[in-house]
Amino acid sequence: MNILVVLRMIPDSAGELQLAEDGRSIDREWLDFQLNDFDDHALEEAILLKEAGGAKVTAVAVGEGANRVLQMAAARGADEVVALQSEEDAMISSREIAASIAAMARAKSADLVLCGVQSSEDVFGQLAPYVGALLDWPHVSGTNRIVANGAVLRVTQERGAGVAVTYELATPAVLGVQTASKAPRYVSGSKLREASKTPIGRATPESSGFERSAEIITLRLPVQGGSGENLGGNAETVADRLVSILAAKGLARN
Amino acid sequence: MASTLPLWILVITALALTAWRSRRYAMALANAPAAARFDRPMLRLQGVMVAIGMHRKMLRKPLSGVLHAIIFISFFVLFTATIDAFGSRLFPGFSLAPIGGETWIAALQDIFSALMLVGVGLALYQRYVLRPARFDGSSGSDAAIIYVLIVLIVASLLLEAAARIVGGSDGSWRPVASALAGLLDRAGMSAHAGEELFYWVHIGAILAFLVYIPGSKHRHMFLAAPNIYFRSLEPRGLAPAVPEAREAPGIDSLGQFDWKQQLDLLSCTECGRCQAVCPAYAAGLPLSPKLLITDMRDALAAGSSAAPLVGGVISEETLWACTTCRACMEACPVEIEHLPKIIDMRRHLVDEGRVSPGLQEALSNLIRLGNSMGKPSKMRARWTRELGFPVKDAREEPVDVLWFVGDYASYDPRVQEITRKVAELLTAAGVDFGILFDAERNSGNDVRRAGEEGLFETLAQSNIDEIKACSFNRIMTTDPHSLNALKNDYQHFGAAFEVLHYTALLAELIAAGKLDLHVADGARVTYHDPCYLGRYNGGFDAPRELIRAAGYTLHDMPRCRENSFCCGAGGGRIWQGDDGVTERPSENRIREALSLGDVAYFVVACPKDKVMYTAAIDALGVADRLKAVDIAELLVPRTSQALEMPPVETS
Repeated sequence: MNILVVLRMIPDSAGELQLAEDGRSIDREWLDFQLNDFDDHALEEAILLKEAGGAKVTAVAVGEGANRVLQMAAARGADEVVALQSEEDAMISSREIAASIAAMARAKSADLVLCGVQSSEDVFGQLAPYVGALLDWPHVSGTNRIVANGAVLRVTQERGAGVAVTYELATPAVLGVQTASKAPRYVSGSKLREASKTPIGRATPESSGFERSAEIITLRLPVQGGSGENLGGNAETVADRLVSILAAKGLARN
Repeated sequence: MASTLPLWILVITALALTAWRSRRYAMALANAPAAARFDRPMLRLQGVMVAIGMHRKMLRKPLSGVLHAIIFISFFVLFTATIDAFGSRLFPGFSLAPIGGETWIAALQDIFSALMLVGVGLALYQRYVLRPARFDGSSGSDAAIIYVLIVLIVASLLLEAAARIVGGSDGSWRPVASALAGLLDRAGMSAHAGEELFYWVHIGAILAFLVYIPGSKHRHMFLAAPNIYFRSLEPRGLAPAVPEAREAPGIDSLGQFDWKQQLDLLSCTECGRCQAVCPAYAAGLPLSPKLLITDMRDALAAGSSAAPLVGGVISEETLWACTTCRACMEACPVEIEHLPKIIDMRRHLVDEGRVSPGLQEALSNLIRLGNSMGKPSKMRARWTRELGFPVKDAREEPVDVLWFVGDYASYDPRVQEITRKVAELLTAAGVDFGILFDAERNSGNDVRRAGEEGLFETLAQSNIDEIKACSFNRIMTTDPHSLNALKNDYQHFGAAFEVLHYTALLAELIAAGKLDLHVADGARVTYHDPCYLGRYNGGFDAPRELIRAAGYTLHDMPRCRENSFCCGAGGGRIWQGDDGVTERPSENRIREALSLGDVAYFVVACPKDKVMYTAAIDALGVADRLKAVDIAELLVPRTSQALEMPPVETS
């Protein structure tokens, strides 16, 4: 089985997000980027499938810092790693990259395409359905367990409240992974250093072919709320302070 | 003499049995990887003299030390009796008499036989009456068998001499045996039969002892001296590198340990001094440094039938429990190296990806961002924003002091205030300093001790490259852990920086009269020696000088300086959960400080300590009685407002 895994680099949410001048995107110049967490699970699921029944795993990464993540993917067990070039300083749109992913799936004779169910820049979770549609392959999103038996996949999907359904589908297929069957493994620094010699392939993007449907007209950052106040540890002073705050807000009589 | 042949047969049989019983150990050592422990013979010998001749570490526990010294010296004196006993019958005509065997040597043997019994009596009193907890898990039967054999050897020696005196020998040089001769005489035993009986009991007990030793902790009689001689002479803070001949970074079988690491296992005396000082053991975690060693020793004896080493003989929980505080190695009288073994086995676990979720998150953050908190590099120097002055970028302009701030001092909001205080003190003293801003990475000290050698190399190389590109004279660190990495571990990469802790630099500035401080009125405080400043790098005095200079009176806790008790955060423990902990080491330590009864400040000199002890004081609900303050908070320049000391209720 040939598996293609998509790894998207997204802005590090712990960083300070600032709006770009156009007010419709975030200023990416000073940001750190990290691997989309769901994509990390997709990679793990691909490696688990490889370990369970044998597979060739190709990881394709897109975005800033792709090389570093591809080395990590190689250290985890990916057989081939490819950096998909993307527009610099722009968010990764699923609509934009779906055609490139589909083309690569064909070129690599993939039987299975795995990606994270969504990313912070694709909360619709559009990548898996777009790629599935372009390839005309079946697609399931929100998976938390994938078992391969030859060309037949059993895919478990979480539906909340503890409800889970299991689908059976034939490859080729596209799956949007919510969580891997096991938490992503740790890969040691010495393995990463070894993997830093792995050759990284390059892929140029395909034109998306989609007409524009909707566009972002405004982006808003969370408004800084009032800061909290530490009332201290002494019960008496805490009580005094609490009473005076409530009184000041007109919620209690002093 | 008719007994010569039977004695030869007995001796040769006993020696053969002893050799047979030692074979597994001998083979293991012979096949072990090499270790470079043959340099500097005079220094090595000197260490042996101090450790054994002076009983330096032994005497830290006075009763044990004294009773061991008595038994030890008596053994040497009585060895003359052993030579006499075997020599006289193996080689007819041999006698010590010409050099005083019947006079002064006889007197010494007589007196030291009695002393030996006193020593064994004290040992019995300690083991069976006092019963120190450090013996928990040691083999009780092994100790008992040895007591019995020693008493047999000494008693038979005395009684044999007594029997000879009954038979008409001169007893004037043997007061104890003479007294016993009176008893024997009254018992009506024939002098010749008695002498023969006690001689063979004596010979039998000695040979039994010899044959017994290879399977007993009493191997240390032969192995303690070599184990101390071949001790590590590297700086204490330098974790052993991965040998080039080793294929993987870690170790997962005993045979991969070099011969010195294996010799350690055979030298253990089961005294339990390591166990008594171990913070993980005290916290109820499944780690006793003593059992770590004896479990591996037993596996070595079992050979190929033993369980797999990592995860079998030594559980993963045991390995992760260690804080790498080094108290065990400091306490060990025979210089056993616990930490290199733990780190090598952790290296194996990390290489296999067998790490807890907490550790995985911290290490992943370190790989990605160079700090364990998962904060962006660009926020590393944010603490400088609230200073009233700019901090130099050491990458841009030359500085006298390059300040390596460290993760906790940079990012942790509980510590940033102290970091700013240090910056203000340096400025008040006119120090020309700068920092690396977002180019600084975690020093890798605890990463390395968590077994992540590859990541340590990446972090260290990145820091070394950045530091080497700067122009400076000395490096100062806030964190003792960074101090240790930069000063010791970075030597692996050929980096030899002059690194000092901020307490050392501040003490130097005060001594030079460059810092004019408010002087408190002698209020009493206590001070916690950080493991990586004190035990690892000998930084005991500078912090104490600072406390004195600020006008406080230091009331040390019982466990201070080399015997300081770890806060529980080191060696990557700060990234692990508290599962299985019955009492946090930090809370144990706060109770110790409270028991002093007269201190209001718990003074620390490590950012992790500020975090750990503030949390411990809150958890114990004693914030009204004790406050964890960094030493920099006590030092207030005269230009600022003096510190107000909270009132203390003394108990």
